[in-house]
Amino acid sequence: MPDWGRNTLELMVQELQHPVRLDDSFNRRVMVRVRRIYAERRHRSIIGWLGAAASISRRPAWAAALAAGVVAVVSVSLLHGPNKPSLPAGQTIPVQFVLVAPEARTVAVVGDFNNWGLGDTALVAVNHNGVWSVSAPVHTGVHRYAFLVNGKQWVADPTAPRAADDDFGQPSSALVVEASTQ
Amino acid sequence: MSMRTARSLLAVLLVGSAFRSTEAQDPRLSNRLDAPTRKALFAIVDSARAQGIPVEPLMEKVYQGLAMGADGSRIVVAVRSLTLEMGNAHRVLGAVATTDELKAAASAVHAGVPAVELGKMKKQSGLRRSLTLPFTVLADIVSRGVPVAAATNAIKSLVGAGAKDKDISDFQRNVSVDIEKGAQPAAAAETRAKGAGAPTPKEENREHE
Repeated sequence: MPDWGRNTLELMVQELQHPVRLDDSFNRRVMVRVRRIYAERRHRSIIGWLGAAASISRRPAWAAALAAGVVAVVSVSLLHGPNKPSLPAGQTIPVQFVLVAPEARTVAVVGDFNNWGLGDTALVAVNHNGVWSVSAPVHTGVHRYAFLVNGKQWVADPTAPRAADDDFGQPSSALVVEASTQ
Repeated sequence: MSMRTARSLLAVLLVGSAFRSTEAQDPRLSNRLDAPTRKALFAIVDSARAQGIPVEPLMEKVYQGLAMGADGSRIVVAVRSLTLEMGNAHRVLGAVATTDELKAAASAVHAGVPAVELGKMKKQSGLRRSLTLPFTVLADIVSRGVPVAAATNAIKSLVGAGAKDKDISDFQRNVSVDIEKGAQPAAAAETRAKGAGAPTPKEENREHE
């Protein structure tokens, strides 16, 4: 059995040994998890179906066309970002981003939540005497993001955890948006 | 046409269609990435998907690289590295881990935390506790100079003591302020973990003795 399988089994046994106590937020938390699992499985099942389609061999002409079409659809959902397939639909929380930058001429917020879009999808902050801020609904989950000052300088959010993986030589921050209480 | 040739042709058709569709949807991929880069990225993403690793964080990394003006080879290296880190996290956290937990765990692994330590934390906390925030904070304090062992012990202590995400966020903020004011990173983490209601690593070690 692979390591992750054994760990999973141990976790399940451990969990089953705990007494079950339900509080008022139980239903809400269950639905958050269910939606998340459903979103992930829906993704996997499409991919699984794609594998099955690719193995069709009796009628290669239409099978190839069908499979190519399916791959195109799946690839768009995997490689193109705006729909955020990993996050449950409808689970967004308003988040305020604030940066103190009295000398800045423009400040925008870009990150995983808007696919690092610098154009129309960037969140443009408003200047309040040097305190720049913008609020936006952000999907639940963990996101990397950064402020873009004057269209060229990347600045991490000084009030947020750092994203450790600054692979591109620029600072960025991490944002965890939680929908449910623990 | 043999079966093998038909399959090869189909594979070429499928990959070609995928790229065309993606490029049509997001011009950044075709405008900014050359064909060899796109091919390399597609192979990494495809391999990750085959291993059960969520691919959305990999695409987010591509977009981050594009926004930050990185060249294709640097983006490929970053995405490959993230795939390996998420794979390590996936192996130790198990199938119960969410995409967010894996993404946060990959950041911690990238910062230098051994994946096995993250697996221990998951086992310690059980299925119900999301470790997305604890892993995120762990990556943060290591990147601020807290030694990996001290940082891991501090977060493990907090999670073990039943600290909520808000407590762990406060812990992160306090540690970062302490370090900015000149505190020694390890001392800041140990002291703040103690203040957050968790036993210090030394006390914890004594309990195990």
